[in-house]
Amino acid sequence: MRVELKNVCKRFGKFAALQDVTLAFASGSRTALVGPNGSGKSTLVRMLMGMLEGDGELTLDGLDPAQRRQELAPRIAYVPQVAPRLWANVRDLVRATVGLRGGTESRVVEIAAQLGLDLEAVALRPFRALSGGMRQKALAATALASAADLLILDEPTASMDPRSRATFHRLLDDLPQRPTVLLCSHRLEEIRRHVDSVVELAEGKIAWQGASRDWLEAHSECVVELRTVDQRAGEWLALRGFCRVRSDWWQLAVPTAQRAALVSEVIRELDDAVLDLLARDLESAEPQAVPL
Amino acid sequence: MTFATQLAVVARLDLAEVRRSRWLASCLIVHFLLAAAFVLVGLRESSVLGFTGMGRALMSLSHALVFLLPLLALVATAQVVNGARDDGTLELLLSHPVSRRGWFAGTTLLRLCALVAPLLVAMPIMAIVGSLAFGQDIPWSYLARTLLVGTSLLACYTAIGLWISTFVRNQAKALMLAVLAWAASVAFLDFGLVGMMLQWRLPPASVFSIAALNPVQCARLALLSAAQPELSTFGPVGFWLANRVGTVGLFAIGIGWPLLLGLTTWTHAQARFCRRDLL
Repeated sequence: MRVELKNVCKRFGKFAALQDVTLAFASGSRTALVGPNGSGKSTLVRMLMGMLEGDGELTLDGLDPAQRRQELAPRIAYVPQVAPRLWANVRDLVRATVGLRGGTESRVVEIAAQLGLDLEAVALRPFRALSGGMRQKALAATALASAADLLILDEPTASMDPRSRATFHRLLDDLPQRPTVLLCSHRLEEIRRHVDSVVELAEGKIAWQGASRDWLEAHSECVVELRTVDQRAGEWLALRGFCRVRSDWWQLAVPTAQRAALVSEVIRELDDAVLDLLARDLESAEPQAVPL
Repeated sequence: MTFATQLAVVARLDLAEVRRSRWLASCLIVHFLLAAAFVLVGLRESSVLGFTGMGRALMSLSHALVFLLPLLALVATAQVVNGARDDGTLELLLSHPVSRRGWFAGTTLLRLCALVAPLLVAMPIMAIVGSLAFGQDIPWSYLARTLLVGTSLLACYTAIGLWISTFVRNQAKALMLAVLAWAASVAFLDFGLVGMMLQWRLPPASVFSIAALNPVQCARLALLSAAQPELSTFGPVGFWLANRVGTVGLFAIGIGWPLLLGLTTWTHAQARFCRRDLL
């Protein structure tokens, strides 16, 4: 599904939630929507689903979602960040979703099982009685089971455990229909794995737009750690912004793009005073030793 | 996706909410307790306004219901739309192929049924139980009249409650407004209005017209229209109206006006819900 926004604005009274946003997502593209709280991500997502109307031109495959919501809704699947606490039981909710969207209950059950949720076992429990993670898995399963052309995922794995998160990523990669994906997420691993481009919003405007690789380079952080017993080196490190974390270990977090420059600077300035030097990506638990 | 399917899906999901809130059970218990109280204390040989025995009990019960039903309907509906908006239910359901009109109609239908069903069940059962226990005839026509008036009143106040929940985003404020709406409906009866008329020397016709616009007053008069149209029975507003439209007209107004007001209010609420931003 092709998504196009031309000069889209949305105001809530005096507050401008979106200002002059112009974007285009090609059919089958995968885009991350990032930005701080209140930057306009949710407003944009709700406008795409036809729940809010604004100024400017917004079309999904040439159709205005606010005017043609009924036509477009079966082609859009949505996973909210926080699943609503419905009193309806799990089976009724799954049946309702399948009844409205088509597809089969067994497919939803199968995907939920892969995510680690036994839908049969919790079928008669009220949806609100499930944990946040279980509710999110159930909604993710209904979304992935539908043959949607546009997947809107708002922090879809925020409440999931690491194993389920990995399964969700795999299932998203393996979707046969190659839908357009709009992912609201602050997890770098998700952005790295699933999206081709990133749109960053700030105060309702596009603050940055481009390839995910470039965005990740600018935004991912790493930690440079080093060990020294030299007092003069310690003074220099403190001035450079390093923190002492253990008796003779020092640490500084920097954007990944600045890692090489920092390591070179440390080697140049401290030379033999450095006993160990490590740099690790903040997403990764494994440190990488930097050759001295 | 047909409109009927949307209605069915929305109503089914909302049924869980209604069942969870024990609204059906609560209404049934209130109706049964009220009916039991009136049957037990009312089935005596005394005569009030021409009603005796079972008739008297039913008349007392129906009058209590005229005051109670609007409150039940308002409390049950004043937090429906704003509540669904706040907890994300609306966002999730409307991300599926459910039209706004379908959601609003399905929710209305279910809430109205949840309010009307206990009344339709409790009243006849209590009348039959009272009849069997005390060996008195059941005034079926008055019972039917009460059920019609009660249903019409419930429809009216269900619509008003939904209107409040559509227009007032804050749930606590909506509930407060619902209680105020109920208080205003109860206050704008004869005694309040006649007091205003005397205090501010208002023309009687305008005061009576305002009173006649109150659905609770209309319902009360529709119930009383079975009795003699006397000032002592009807009160000044009823007597004024009965002299102009007759007792049959009074009954028709008692059924028709709350329904018309309810339909108008509901249509306005639905139009607003369908037209404006959802969240």
